[in-house]
Amino acid sequence: MSILEVKGLKKTYSTRFGGNKVEALKNVNFSVEEGEYVAIMGESGSGKTTLLNILAALDKPTGGKVMLSGIDLTCVKDSQMAAFRRDNLGFVFQDFNLLDTFTLEDNIYLPLVLAGKQYPEMHEKLMPIARTLGISGLLKKYPYEVSGGQKQRAAVARAVISDPKIILADEPTGALDSKASDELLKMFEEINSTGQTILMVTHSVKAASTAGRLLFIKDGEVYHQIYRGNDSNEQFYQKITDTLTLLATGGERI
Amino acid sequence: MKKGFYPKLAFEGIKKNRQMYLPYILTGSCMVMMYYILVFLYTSETVDKIAGSAALKDILELGGWVIAIFAVIFLFYTNSFLMKRRKKEFGLYNILGMGKRNIAVILFWESLITAAVSFAAGIVSGIVFSKLAELILIHIQNAEADYQFSVSLPAVGMTAAVFGVIFVLILLNSIRMIRFSSAIALLRSENTGEKPPKANWLIGILGIVVLVVAYYIAVTINNPVKAMTVFFIAVVMVIAATYMIMISGSVMFCRLLQKNKRYYYQSNHFVSVSSMVYRMKRNGAGLASICVLATMVLVMISTTVSLYFGGEDSVNNLYPRQIDMTFNIQEKERLSDEYVGTVRSDLTAFLKKYDVDPSNVIDYRRACSFGTMKDGRVELQPEIVLDDLSDEYYFYFVPINDYNRMTGADEILEKDEAVIYMADHEYDRDTISFDGGKDFKVKNPENSYEMISNDDSNIIPAVMVFVNDLEDVVSDMKELSCYWEYDFNTDLDSNAQTELAAKIRSEFCAESADKNDTHCVVDSKENARVEFFSIYGGMLFIGIMLSIVFIFAAVLIIYYKQISEGYEDQARFAIMQKVGMTKREIRRSINSQLLTVFFMPLIMAGTHLVFAFPMIKKMLLVFNMNNAALFAAVTGICFLAFALLYVLVYRITSNAYYQIVSGSKADS
Repeated sequence: MSILEVKGLKKTYSTRFGGNKVEALKNVNFSVEEGEYVAIMGESGSGKTTLLNILAALDKPTGGKVMLSGIDLTCVKDSQMAAFRRDNLGFVFQDFNLLDTFTLEDNIYLPLVLAGKQYPEMHEKLMPIARTLGISGLLKKYPYEVSGGQKQRAAVARAVISDPKIILADEPTGALDSKASDELLKMFEEINSTGQTILMVTHSVKAASTAGRLLFIKDGEVYHQIYRGNDSNEQFYQKITDTLTLLATGGERI
Repeated sequence: MKKGFYPKLAFEGIKKNRQMYLPYILTGSCMVMMYYILVFLYTSETVDKIAGSAALKDILELGGWVIAIFAVIFLFYTNSFLMKRRKKEFGLYNILGMGKRNIAVILFWESLITAAVSFAAGIVSGIVFSKLAELILIHIQNAEADYQFSVSLPAVGMTAAVFGVIFVLILLNSIRMIRFSSAIALLRSENTGEKPPKANWLIGILGIVVLVVAYYIAVTINNPVKAMTVFFIAVVMVIAATYMIMISGSVMFCRLLQKNKRYYYQSNHFVSVSSMVYRMKRNGAGLASICVLATMVLVMISTTVSLYFGGEDSVNNLYPRQIDMTFNIQEKERLSDEYVGTVRSDLTAFLKKYDVDPSNVIDYRRACSFGTMKDGRVELQPEIVLDDLSDEYYFYFVPINDYNRMTGADEILEKDEAVIYMADHEYDRDTISFDGGKDFKVKNPENSYEMISNDDSNIIPAVMVFVNDLEDVVSDMKELSCYWEYDFNTDLDSNAQTELAAKIRSEFCAESADKNDTHCVVDSKENARVEFFSIYGGMLFIGIMLSIVFIFAAVLIIYYKQISEGYEDQARFAIMQKVGMTKREIRRSINSQLLTVFFMPLIMAGTHLVFAFPMIKKMLLVFNMNNAALFAAVTGICFLAFALLYVLVYRITSNAYYQIVSGSKADS
């Protein structure tokens, strides 16, 4: 069953005085099945961020539909949008977006607190997640006291803890060094293996090579997609670079 | 570089940060205006014409200096907010290749623009309002006013000099701040949380100890003269204690809230408590400043208002009749009925000449001295010892005959008998004995004795001793000085009363000095009232002016606190909105934060006021103000009015905070 369905998605920005219209998304169609780990790649300006913003309900599309487990995102009322996001979506951002005012633990609790959950329940939920992500010993620290990789793991924990239908990750390895990136990607795989659906937008071939399926987006359209099948990460990596070369050299549509 | 580049950059910088610069310029102009008005008044010729203007001018000049000092502190404080916001921008300029010299030039232009605007606006509004202030002052003084409008060039010059120095100091400080921080330090936004002060518990306990000691001093002081000096010590102690308690207390309080998991992990407390912990020191300092300013305003306004409105009472206390005459008697023979009778008939004859018929006369002889009284034993002292006033009294010996004559009573005393009357309580012993003098059996009065003295100076409680034979008493006790008091009312209007007092002084007293060898002092109540209102009116005026300045300061501290926290929290609330916080939850969390800390300064200011009350009451006695009920009422009204204003300001500024914080959604 597909948990996320995007049909004929369109987004047009008009400049301030209505003159030029820029089509960020022309016609995007794809769907994500439950438990899938999908990566989206594309060059700067290809519409990746716009797409993610719409999926995250931070932005409204000009046309088309986004269905999250049967609910049309464009039909959720503004006043309920924040609550909807909190209950159904988990976010991992490039720049972590952790709050300096909270300890890592409290940062992770934030969506649950907003949802009105009690402390014992939250605590019970956090413990296994913290163990998986290897941040059990860091929970009482503040974001400015830990490394980038540790921050991002806390951010992942925050995304996971509310049992979202889907995790949206925006360049999660963008601000990390290669070692921290590897660790993080391993964690994504682990989380995915527990059945968590993940949608990741990335530039990094390495990051994309951990996904189960890869969508290429270009000029506001899904241009191409490849499946991992039974490939190992290394084999899939090779596949992706080959495809990218092909796309860049302007080869025929495969 | 292109000409006009720096001024343009400076101007743009101000324009872009107008939310921060506008209040700064407003503060500057307000200070300039207040200072100009005070200088204008104490150099004004109109004020010269007010009776008792010398004392008034001293008060005004002092007020001017207080405002100048306050302007320094306050402008530095607001400027530090500005610099904090600008640092990032300057860091960027620095990295993009602008040297620190160039940044200093931009700063120079910015300071010049802000200083010029503040000064111009301040002087213009100062000139506009100076006439109003003058009229108010003159009205408070009950004096005559003219309606001529004037600009005082010396006052403008003086203001320019004082504020020129202040603005230069601020510029130098800003340049110093830029000079000693690296480009990276400038650029990096401050995102490390504040560490709680070391030995937080110790500071808190120390603060409480200091506060308790200060309160104890304030409550137990019973020497009004000492109260004046001790008051300043107590004020300093209370201010220090307020800062210590607010800073450590707010940290402890927030920590406690954070430990209470049921409370902390609620959506409307979660965000507010954590951000309070995050900037706990600053928060505490800000709250303490608000508390101190609030207390200062309340103390100033309530004391000066009650002094002024209790002024009539005080004058009546000091001068029970319109004309007040006191004859100083050096030789005890002159206490005789015969001698006093001669002077009295001379005086009535003199008054008759001017068609004055004295009515409601107070007419009695007395012998007075300071002294200490313990267990019914009195030791008289010719001079007062101000260190310890606990057993100190002022003794009046009055012949019972004078009392009988004035009140129509018919009290008879034996030679060794006395009737004791004390203002505040009853004398509860059977005897009273004076060291080196007489012992008396204390007789209970048949009817209640009213004080007949006008010298009820209040600072030191009076003891009236009514005796049979005053001359006999005086011969025994050399410490006593003797007077004959003659006060009366007339049917003259106030000007004529003053004139009459002058005539008595120049004609009768001189004549009588030749003829009867008297030393006579005359004063009229009217004259006293004018002098009185010139001083207390001046104090009220300064009290109001300084209160305006302090209220302005408190409002600005609240405003800057909210605005700067708003900008700091903008990014945080943006993140929280992404994670799923609704606008309603933002509102709720802001309200929660307000409710947690909002009432703290107000409550603490109220407590300070309650404990300062007995001490201030004592100090007011020095100014002959003895109406505790009036003072309590005025203080209560001031407190309520201030609380109302406080709520209003907080509502408005928290709205500004909300706008900043929630508006961030658009650019996320």
